[in-house]
Amino acid sequence: MTRGTLLYIGQRTLLIVLTAFIVSSIVFIGVHQLPGNAFVGERRTSAAAQQALLNYYGLDKPWPQQYGTWVTGVITRGDLGESLKQRGQKITPLLLREVRVSVTLGLFAMAFCIIFGMGLGILAAVKQNTWIDYLASFLATVGYSMPNFVTAFLLILLTVTGFYAWSGGAFYEDIGWGKLEQIPVPAIALGLLPMTLITRLTRASMLEVIRQDYVRTAWAKGLRSRVVIIRHALRNALIPVITVLGPITTGVITGSVVIEYLFGIPGLGKEFVSSIFQRDYNIVIAVFTFYAVLVGLANLAVDLVYPILDPRIRY
Amino acid sequence: MAPLLQVEDLKTYFHLRDGVVKAVDGITFHVDKGETVGIVGESGSGKSITSLSIMRLVPEPGRIVHGRILFGADGQPKDVVKMTDEEIRDFRGSDVSMIFQDPMTSLNPVLKVGFQVREAMSAHDRFSDEQSKARVVPLLKKVRIPGAADRTKAYPHQFSGGMRQRVMIAMGLSNEPSLLIADEPTTALDVTVQAQILELLRDLNREMGTAIILITHNLAVVASLCTRVVVMYAGRIVEEGYTRDIFKNPQHPYTWSLLRSMPRLDAARHSKLLTISGLPPDMSNPPPGCKFHPRCRFRVDRCLEEEPPLGEVGPNQYARCWVLMQNALVTQPEKAAAAEVPIPPLSAEPAQIDQRPDPDRPGAVKA
Repeated sequence: MTRGTLLYIGQRTLLIVLTAFIVSSIVFIGVHQLPGNAFVGERRTSAAAQQALLNYYGLDKPWPQQYGTWVTGVITRGDLGESLKQRGQKITPLLLREVRVSVTLGLFAMAFCIIFGMGLGILAAVKQNTWIDYLASFLATVGYSMPNFVTAFLLILLTVTGFYAWSGGAFYEDIGWGKLEQIPVPAIALGLLPMTLITRLTRASMLEVIRQDYVRTAWAKGLRSRVVIIRHALRNALIPVITVLGPITTGVITGSVVIEYLFGIPGLGKEFVSSIFQRDYNIVIAVFTFYAVLVGLANLAVDLVYPILDPRIRY
Repeated sequence: MAPLLQVEDLKTYFHLRDGVVKAVDGITFHVDKGETVGIVGESGSGKSITSLSIMRLVPEPGRIVHGRILFGADGQPKDVVKMTDEEIRDFRGSDVSMIFQDPMTSLNPVLKVGFQVREAMSAHDRFSDEQSKARVVPLLKKVRIPGAADRTKAYPHQFSGGMRQRVMIAMGLSNEPSLLIADEPTTALDVTVQAQILELLRDLNREMGTAIILITHNLAVVASLCTRVVVMYAGRIVEEGYTRDIFKNPQHPYTWSLLRSMPRLDAARHSKLLTISGLPPDMSNPPPGCKFHPRCRFRVDRCLEEEPPLGEVGPNQYARCWVLMQNALVTQPEKAAAAEVPIPPLSAEPAQIDQRPDPDRPGAVKA
């Protein structure tokens, strides 16, 4: 790594921190302007008890003061505050636990997405206008037009009900979280849609690169087809594909809301939705901030991969 | 001695939805060991497809539909057309190398130059890994890349066009092939660099004895490098012979027009440059008879109906033209005279053909 690269990473990290700060501020100010408060829905509490709760969490103070307290907490102690609904639950450890779950699921989904998406895309391009290409394109179109909750239901039907019935009750696919074998099915459900995107992009990109002069040069040198396709064509074809990997990664991790619900996975997406419904403001702010950081990091990662693939790009 | 490369009645067709394009339609020529042969023609004449056919790199939907490409001077030449996938792979870049028109796009932008040269050797068994590695710098020196040792680690975008073409040549020569096909190697380069690259090719041909097929539309390039010329038009060979003969005494009207359309320093100050009127034929619907007749100022009736064969018009010089064949005209003198285009005196007096002086045919000047 050159000095330039390190400097570049430093700058970008600073920007990410700044973005996170701005995003969290906007969300903080936004949610505190909403009418009502976190406790209005709780019918059994009296007005006096509600007032006491507001006082306990400091929610009765003017918002600039609350904001000041919150920012100080975040900066000095990494403390994102306390959940308003799960009494006594600190948000930082909760978030870290859920992030781990969501990121694990997301990484599995991304692995599926990249391996199968690129594989299918390369195959379709190399075997252009054959049945393999048509099949890959068909699958890509089907996958692309299917919302992920439909995919999820179909997969649950296939793995849970299907395997159970076909094996005569000997095999039962248990959905949930905690065991390694429970990861692939939701990961596929989550990764199928972006996979089809990668398939189509890889195919298009490969088709363009395969017609380039330098690929013809590679053939003319007498290289084996595997070397020509992977070393000469794929590496050049990957550049546009890598570009979409950033948004796809964040999309997969933040977009796991439905999948986490359907598969009962205690991840960030699930927490995000319930916190919004329950007006658990502190969690909403924390999750939003995390998403902002995630987007920044994913884009930074992509930008750092570019120069590895293409020597013409330097920072 | 058997020629190094013998192309026999090669036909490469493109089967498109709306018909067949006969890009190369029955061409026969040969290249001897260590010889330099130029293939000349306009865009679309089939010269590039000829060279790609020899490498079996014809792009889809093109196919070699007929003919033989025999390669190998000693004893048993092999037919390139019939080679298996593995045989053709080992043939490419090892027995015959090819360099392309645009050096700016012909090198892989993401791989180091030295690696790309080395890779050409690792694909074949002629040199071991250590030898391949050791040969990279001397090869780059041989093609006169300054600071060769430091430049191996550079990427193509750090090279100029001329330097990239040198790298391509180094790559092409890395396995010491007996034939190098250069497809318009200087077209994308500026004139001074062109001259350097041609000089380099000429020196390499002399030093290493590598035969060269030079594909170009530029006659000056041919004149400076090649001993023999094949002139192609619309997928056919229209004239073939030694460069000095063809330049001094072009026989086919197309060759003659090409030479007349070249600006010359020694031409009379007021003589106009000749242009070949019309366009190259649409290859999916070529004209009947001689393919050149719509643009030919010497055509006779027979040209519209029947395609002339490639006939001997001088010692080791061949051309495909009815006007050059005495008996063709003798048999139909009235028809020829009645042709819609006024026929220049020359075509009526075929006996003069061989004594014709430098490219000035009578008739052309008046036209």
